[in-house]
Amino acid sequence: MAGWIPAYGSVEEVGSVSQRQVSNNNEHRLRPLAWVGALFGGIGRFLKLMARNKTGFAGFLLFIGFILLTTVGPLFIEEPKSADITAIYSPPSREHILGTDSQGKDIFAQIVNGGADIMQLALLTGVISTFIGVTLGSISAIIGGRLDTFLTTLADVWLTIPRFPLLAVLATLIKLSDMAMLALILAVLGWAGLYRSIRAQVFSLRERDYVEAAVALDLGLPHIIFKEILPNMMSYIAISFTFGMTSAIYAQVGLVFLGLVPLTRNWGVMINLAWTQGAIFFRDSVYFIMAPVTAIALLQLSIVWMSRSLEEIFNPRLRTG
Amino acid sequence: MSDSTVTVTAVSRRPSLGSLLKRIASHFLVQRLAKALFTIWFVTSLTFFLIRLMPSNPVEVYINELILNYGLPYAEARDQAASLFALDLDAPLWKQYLDYMVNLVHGNLGTSLRSPGTTVTSIIVTFLPWTIFSVGLGLVISFTVGVALGMIMAYKRDAFWEPILSGVASTLSAIPNYIIGIVLLVYLGVYWGLVPIHQMRGSRSPGIEPGFTLVFIKDVLFHAALPIATYVLATIGGWMLSMKSSTLSTLGEDYVTVARARGLPERRITTAYVGRNAMLPLVTQLLISIGFIVGGSILIESIFVYQGIGLRLLEALNNRDYPLMQGIFLIITISVVVSNLLADFVYGWLDPRVRVSGGGG
Amino acid sequence: MNERAGVVKGDAVLSVRDLWVDYQAERGTVKAVRGVNLDLYRGESLSLIGESGCGKTTFGLSLVRLLVKAATIRKGEIVYYGDTKPMDILSLSERELRHFRWSECAMVFQSALNAFNPVLRIWDQMYDTVKAHGAMTRDQARQRSLELLRFVQLEPERVIDAYPHELSGGMRQRVLLAMSLLLRPEILILDEPTTALDILTQRTIIELLRRLKQELGFSMIFISHDLSIAAELADRVATMYAGTIVELGDVYDTFYRPAHPYTLGLIRSVPTVTGEFRDLISIPGAPPDLIEPPAGCKFHPRCPYATERCREEEPHLELVPGHDGHYVACFHADQVLRQSVKRMQPND
Repeated sequence: MAGWIPAYGSVEEVGSVSQRQVSNNNEHRLRPLAWVGALFGGIGRFLKLMARNKTGFAGFLLFIGFILLTTVGPLFIEEPKSADITAIYSPPSREHILGTDSQGKDIFAQIVNGGADIMQLALLTGVISTFIGVTLGSISAIIGGRLDTFLTTLADVWLTIPRFPLLAVLATLIKLSDMAMLALILAVLGWAGLYRSIRAQVFSLRERDYVEAAVALDLGLPHIIFKEILPNMMSYIAISFTFGMTSAIYAQVGLVFLGLVPLTRNWGVMINLAWTQGAIFFRDSVYFIMAPVTAIALLQLSIVWMSRSLEEIFNPRLRTG
Repeated sequence: MSDSTVTVTAVSRRPSLGSLLKRIASHFLVQRLAKALFTIWFVTSLTFFLIRLMPSNPVEVYINELILNYGLPYAEARDQAASLFALDLDAPLWKQYLDYMVNLVHGNLGTSLRSPGTTVTSIIVTFLPWTIFSVGLGLVISFTVGVALGMIMAYKRDAFWEPILSGVASTLSAIPNYIIGIVLLVYLGVYWGLVPIHQMRGSRSPGIEPGFTLVFIKDVLFHAALPIATYVLATIGGWMLSMKSSTLSTLGEDYVTVARARGLPERRITTAYVGRNAMLPLVTQLLISIGFIVGGSILIESIFVYQGIGLRLLEALNNRDYPLMQGIFLIITISVVVSNLLADFVYGWLDPRVRVSGGGG
Repeated sequence: MNERAGVVKGDAVLSVRDLWVDYQAERGTVKAVRGVNLDLYRGESLSLIGESGCGKTTFGLSLVRLLVKAATIRKGEIVYYGDTKPMDILSLSERELRHFRWSECAMVFQSALNAFNPVLRIWDQMYDTVKAHGAMTRDQARQRSLELLRFVQLEPERVIDAYPHELSGGMRQRVLLAMSLLLRPEILILDEPTTALDILTQRTIIELLRRLKQELGFSMIFISHDLSIAAELADRVATMYAGTIVELGDVYDTFYRPAHPYTLGLIRSVPTVTGEFRDLISIPGAPPDLIEPPAGCKFHPRCPYATERCREEEPHLELVPGHDGHYVACFHADQVLRQSVKRMQPND
């Protein structure tokens, strides 16, 4: 513990200061440091867990990379405002890493600035849809009876309805430019799948020996829910979350690409612009369309890969020792 | 001895009508049919109320449009709207709903707003087959090739190339289908110029007579090639991985070991013992994926300008052509429901355990 | 002695010499079968008993070479003396092996619950078996299947067209037994034939097996941890421990005069309906780790008779003096015998 000795030397040196005072000061110095230490320790453990699965770790790093790029990036790289007619569709160069678009604006800068709302929407939808799925699924499985039959039939019917066309139709009826609204609608539209898998899992858990044992030992409902059932559902919850994210990205970009939703500048809008401006038909302008396309593809991949790691973390039985 | 004679489930006396009906009702196919009909009813009602009750009520919007753009008096605008939407705007809501349902059953889905004089039904009839063709063919190819590859991957999981194939499959399945479409278009068509995309626009070339001629069929396939390729690439990864894992777990089943102990030839074991059983869970997945692929047609068809129902829906959406929108959405859902039902039937044929929910000795 | 003990000690129909089978596990190599020597005589029923994990199922599987990929037969010889010239099982080609399986030697697995393809009818699976060996015409196969189903006391017409899930567990076990007799094999290997069945069905199966033995003269190997099936049906009993045979003898010797402490322990730990409780002694400890087995005799950590020699040297099967055909692998067999005889005296 040598590192925690305060900078002003040992207790003997201070002399007149009482033992207790010094130790109090020492503690005040120690506590925030200890807290930071624990945080780093926790992060370290988390990283180690993530690293168990190679693809998962790669996905995780990529995902973090995207988060940093889209949140921190815009602080350094500004959205290009003015058009530069001399540099229309110029190929990648030292000045413009990914080339320029039809107005001469730097593509890389647009990518950096265009991801934030996609990420936000993904995370928001993921949270809401997981919440809905977990709540309804567990309630349905635990209460059972008529409520369960009703919800399950509803879910079956709901699953048959093709989601994207419905979303497209809704887009013409409701203003979907507000992110919270869009996230809510996406989450509601997608409730059925997660509901089903959570419900199945809770059902099987209910019958498991250790749950029955916990009930028999009268360990209390909160204990049963949080210590026995929830940890075993975590892998499903994690998967639901990632699935919520990927389908949100798919839906949002799809809608924007088709021009059905007016949104501020993001990757989907870039693809739409590239499309309508005919950028796909020329070799020079290929970067304009491929940059956002690649960004979206990589983002989806990173989430899917990351979910593998999450699955392994939460499901110890999957971990090959 | 409890088991020395086999208990017979069929009743030896003549069954009563009540028990006969119960047996029919418990047959899983009947249940599926009932659910399918319920779903269709649910969706039609949903679209009806969506259109009528949404904040920016499309009917009112259209009436306003008529008033503003054509200077029509309110009553006349209302009448026109009513006929176009196949609605009776004076009647109370529940009667409108009934009329709507009756019209539906008779196949009257209203008239298109933007193409006056054309009924929604006729538009659907013209364009739906193209979508079904491309989506269906894509699904068939993707499923058969995917399942075959998946099985091979399971058998050869120690080969060096297997992890590579798995990686490719998993990457493909994570990329959205329209991204694949764009990539195909941009790279195959433009960058490398491998494919004459300009000629491939649309679903068929002008000047070629439709009919069961080889020329026509070749032309149709030519135009549908890229959309089909997109559907295949977007979904094949999932089939490969699912079949691989299903096959692996089937290979571990007791009856496979017993089949080997019985000296059965490997070929018979692979097809009838492993294959058929491994495929069963995938048929259920097929159910879920049909809806998704059909839903994606709106995006894929717009990328390749393929004249199917998806493209028509997009146009209708952009034009705020509500009757058409409603009709197409309905028909898309009905197609999904019907194909799900078909998949259920196929599953029932494949897995005898599901056939009667109440058999057994 | 009664007629059962008078086994035709004629020629051997199956001969196993120095068989060693290893499994590749994560932690290391599991030596599942270590140097087993065993003969199965024509017409006899031999019971292989032992705890779970002692290697008896692995041994059975290696007889038909049905081991998983992680297992290898490291050393040894298995020779089958059928109607034609002797067959070296371990060197058979895939095709010859396929023919050998089921038509010469049928292995019936435990728990027939999942032994059948769920999507095929029983008749299809019977016919599959027959077709694979080209033994009969379709009609002959049908007749024989019906005949065998009747033999195992099932309603032939009803069962033959049924799907596996329509039959109960006991019925499936009997169908599997019938299927095993389809091609009239010389040898039947039954792995835990009565485990996972209710007591009444167990009785039916045991009666069937007895009829098979007495009326049809099959040579059989029963693998079981259930001593009662050995007592009822076996002519000879082999006790297996930690991958090797520690005692081999006829059924009376094994049950009334066991010479190995493990066999004695097994017998003493099984309650009888009329037995006295003070007679019940279980064997302390657990089976050894087969990746790093202890030195010397593998049973010594649990053995009340263990001495220094047992800790260092592993005993081999040797003839028990005075008992014909009774072999034991123990340095203190004489002590064990005295204990067994003492135990039997009050009841005998």
